[in-house]
Amino acid sequence: MSSTTKDPSTKGAAADSDSEDDYMKMSFTDEPTFTTSRKSKSGKPIETSLQRRLRLQREGEIRGRVKSKAELAAEEEARREAALSTSLFDKLVAPSPQIISHSPSASASPAPATAVPPAAAAPPITTKSKGLAMMAKMGFVPGTALGAKSAESEARTEPIKISIKDGREGIGLESERKRKMQEAAEAAGEMAKKARVDEEGYRERVRREREEARLERQVYAAQKVAEGMDEDYGDEVGDRMGGEGEVQKLEGRTDSGEDESEHGSDSREKKRGRKKTGASSSRPLRFIPVVYRGLVRSREEAERERRMRYDLEQSSMLSSARLPTYVDDELDMDGKHALGKDIATVHKPWNTYVMAEDLDEEDAELDEFNALNPDERLRRLVQYMREKHHYCFWCKAKYEDAEMDGCPGLTEEEHD
Amino acid sequence: MASHDDRGVKRSNMEDNAAQDLKRIKRAENGDAAPEKYNPYLAHLNEDGNNGDFESPLDSFERHQTTAAQAAQAEDSELNPWTGQPHSQRYFDILKTRRDLPVHKQRQEFLDMYHNTQILVFVGETGSGKTTQIPQYVLYDELPYTNGKLIACTQPRRVAAMSVAQRVANEMDVELGQEVGYSIRFENRTGPKTMLKYMTDGQLLRESMHDHDMSRYSCIILDEAHERTLATDILMALLKQIAARRKDLKIIVMSATLDAQKFQSYFYDAPLLAVPGRTFPVEIFYTPEPERDYLEAAVRTVLQIHATEPEGDILLFLTGEEEIEDACRRISLEVDDMIRESDAGPMKVYPLYGTLPPAHQQRIFEKAPGPLREGGRPGRKVIVSTNIAETSLTIDGIVYVVDPGFSKQKIYNPRSRVESLLVSPISKASAQQRAGRAGRTRPGKCFRLYTEKAFKKELIEQTYPEILRSNLANTVLELKKLGVEDLVHFDLMDPPAPETMMRALEELNYLACLDDDGELTRLGGLASEFPLDPALAVMLISSPEFYCSNEILSIVSLLSVPSIWVRPNNARKRADEMKMHFAHSDGDHLTLLNAYHAYKGAETNNEDMKRWCHEHFLSYRHLSSADNVRAQLKRIMETHDISLVSTPFQDKNYYINIRRALLAGFFMQVAMRESSNSKVYKTVKDDQLVMIHPSTSVTSPYDWVVYNEFVLTTKQYVRTVTNIRPEWLLEIAPVYYDLDTFEKGEIKSALTRITDKVKRRQAIKGSGSTR
Repeated sequence: MSSTTKDPSTKGAAADSDSEDDYMKMSFTDEPTFTTSRKSKSGKPIETSLQRRLRLQREGEIRGRVKSKAELAAEEEARREAALSTSLFDKLVAPSPQIISHSPSASASPAPATAVPPAAAAPPITTKSKGLAMMAKMGFVPGTALGAKSAESEARTEPIKISIKDGREGIGLESERKRKMQEAAEAAGEMAKKARVDEEGYRERVRREREEARLERQVYAAQKVAEGMDEDYGDEVGDRMGGEGEVQKLEGRTDSGEDESEHGSDSREKKRGRKKTGASSSRPLRFIPVVYRGLVRSREEAERERRMRYDLEQSSMLSSARLPTYVDDELDMDGKHALGKDIATVHKPWNTYVMAEDLDEEDAELDEFNALNPDERLRRLVQYMREKHHYCFWCKAKYEDAEMDGCPGLTEEEHD
Repeated sequence: MASHDDRGVKRSNMEDNAAQDLKRIKRAENGDAAPEKYNPYLAHLNEDGNNGDFESPLDSFERHQTTAAQAAQAEDSELNPWTGQPHSQRYFDILKTRRDLPVHKQRQEFLDMYHNTQILVFVGETGSGKTTQIPQYVLYDELPYTNGKLIACTQPRRVAAMSVAQRVANEMDVELGQEVGYSIRFENRTGPKTMLKYMTDGQLLRESMHDHDMSRYSCIILDEAHERTLATDILMALLKQIAARRKDLKIIVMSATLDAQKFQSYFYDAPLLAVPGRTFPVEIFYTPEPERDYLEAAVRTVLQIHATEPEGDILLFLTGEEEIEDACRRISLEVDDMIRESDAGPMKVYPLYGTLPPAHQQRIFEKAPGPLREGGRPGRKVIVSTNIAETSLTIDGIVYVVDPGFSKQKIYNPRSRVESLLVSPISKASAQQRAGRAGRTRPGKCFRLYTEKAFKKELIEQTYPEILRSNLANTVLELKKLGVEDLVHFDLMDPPAPETMMRALEELNYLACLDDDGELTRLGGLASEFPLDPALAVMLISSPEFYCSNEILSIVSLLSVPSIWVRPNNARKRADEMKMHFAHSDGDHLTLLNAYHAYKGAETNNEDMKRWCHEHFLSYRHLSSADNVRAQLKRIMETHDISLVSTPFQDKNYYINIRRALLAGFFMQVAMRESSNSKVYKTVKDDQLVMIHPSTSVTSPYDWVVYNEFVLTTKQYVRTVTNIRPEWLLEIAPVYYDLDTFEKGEIKSALTRITDKVKRRQAIKGSGSTR
């Protein structure tokens, strides 16, 4: 008795989940009987009074639940659609599809329609249609249309669809509405897509920019290395510019200091930078290999700029110095220096510095080189150093001979 | 398309049935007098001597060699060439107008083509005169008295068959029912002299069931073929076959312009003759935006036309009675305001729909009202109509057409077995037809309440032919009777969906009209004799077994006419009260029967029947037409020795027998209640959820009911229901209620329980009796 007082929803769930040995299910054909010997004439078990009482009680519970209007309407439509969307021929071939209740409450009622065992367990009950058999006798094949044998069949194989008009909306309103909604949806989709594309594009651009910047830095570094190598090579060959060396060293300190802070190169390069600053200044740019000529050129230009500005400052300072000024003798050197009054004494005259003679000339070769992609410029630089110095930019090592035994290759990837 | 099936009387809600009933009643007496089996072929032989009594101008004619000039000469003669009587003045008056018809100019052309071909496709727009003139042209060429064969001209509608026959009889100066007659279901107005017979397409189909070669006819004209009624489609397929067998049979397929090529190619590239109609150009206007409420838009448009457009009457198309009455009310109210406020002209509003009494229908032909005062703005009339004004009725004076683009259309789906009238968008062809109505008397305007884009994209080209929208059980039965063996490859112009065919065969098999091999059974042969749907016919034929064939005959007749209940808007409550006098708590079928008995009782008491019906909120028209149908069916029953019996009224089984007898035909239309306190029923096998229609008189519905009709609107109803006991189902229709054919479900388990119960009871009975 206690088992039957369970509420319908738990029963329904039980029926759904475990229909095999669910004694609660509504098909009574295979309901276990207490007395298997008692059978009716047809061989079917006779229901005992207890079974009957239980059954009635169960049924009462199921029927006692009143469905809401919305539930009913939904169920009504669902069944209609289910009926309309299934071809009768399909029904005959496959086991008839079970109606699946849409509302959760409907599935809670243990109606047999919802509590059926899986299709595999239940063989298709629909027998082959006699109507179809008759048609087959006349030569009908399911899937084809009716009509004259000869005619290229334009005849329909499907019944006309039923659409129920609800309300008084004019023709085209619904499709217009649908179209608008679709358009809106499409537009929204487009936006989302566009945003996504943008996002990707942005990422791509940033990635590319970073890569380029990285390459530029490497180009710069390589140029410096190449210049330094050439210089070292030149030192080995003989220092042609010894005389000017001291002055340049002094100038170069401030110079390269700035450089270093800007580009963050390592200290080894600092040293070399100082050296080369001095070395290359006077040389005509066109003799500098194009691979790092740009570096030298821009440094020269920067230098000239700095000097011009310095001269300007100096001249203004000098002119101010020429003004009658009070000279405080108590000022020590530092003080004087701070007031710019020591300039003349501290500085060597600027005309000792020799600018590269062709700095102002057009350099087509360089422009061409600069127009190349940074990776190409880098490749040439690396190539240059390998050929000239048997130096590998990536291994950061100098090899004995042109074979460069032990270096994996020309590119950065090969050194990973 | 308010097309309707002439043989399936069941379709009581079809628009145009009603209009025809009254006319039928008027003529019923005469029509009945002509025996169905009379063969005019023999009659002509007998009376051939008549032609010798006078010198007819036709004497010089040679069959199939008539020229237009010869015929015109014969028409002009003083004596009627067909009767020998002098022509009346009216004849010559009409002749003059006939000669003005567009078709007349091409009479010779027509004859030349007619002589040289067996099948001819004739295209003539509305107003060309084809329906009245072509059959007469054929008459002068076929000269029926020479071989005794008739000329048939089919019409999709009963009203058209009757009215055209009358018109042609006038044109020929003969009496209707003599040389020119008509034959429609339940009414035959032809005689031994009849040469030209207008008939419904369904009627010709029924005739051919007993005359497979249509040997009575020398020429068959299928008029209005573009309407593609079920019967016309079947006839075309049959005639295509017969034409191959009978080279002497001529066939003319007449259609409106659209789709003419389709007819040509279907009939082995038959030659085509086209006659222009007499129509004026119609300017078409579309709305810039789709309408939210087409009814409101329609009312607004009508008022706008009234306010701004020059003189001319308006025709507005809507879908059904309720909508039309609603619109009429709204327009009238608004017009009153317009007259008061802005000095508008007067406007008369007339509704027009099938179930409207004919006297009211006639009012649409009244003249538009004149100006309210001297020199005031002219008045006009507006007719708010269903699609009966689209083709079947021509109203002169219409200059403006308002077309919201909807009509009620019959639709059938074999999957749910529901045949219903649903509001659906019309086709492009239909829209053009509607627009054309504005150009009958002078150039007109058509206001379409949808966008041009919607017209192009949303409307289908042609209305689906009826054969694709119908339950074919009846048609299949007829085809079987017609000797068509291979239904699958039957050469129809538009073959239906295979599932529809399958359902039809299945249903007929369950009704035992076809055996398992698809052969017609004796019962099937008998059922096909009745101009009824198979279920009704089977119910009628089996009714003597239930000792109530008289009562079932009455019920079948009542189900074959539109609803006999009158429920006017302003007196609904009183009407319902009156209905309660006849109500039987166990079933609407029984309530119908009670009302009919009361009607017959009043009749024998010599009451003024019209008044009596009015007082009792019953439709005199439909009741008397049911009475007429009953008489026709009774005659068929007598011919086939089906006995007419009744259970004594005092017997407690009187109503039970009737309820059981209903199941003999309608066992496939049964629903079981979902649960004891629910209003929802579930149809057997189709598993559809339905409610009992609120119009029912069943006060305490049982768990099981039989229903006459499944009504599909936004809700699903069953209408005209009667309580039954499930045991009866197992007993009366054991094949259909074979439990093995049921899908697992409530219905199956309920039926299983009942089977067990019945068996137990039998076992107890059996053991009791043996003891």
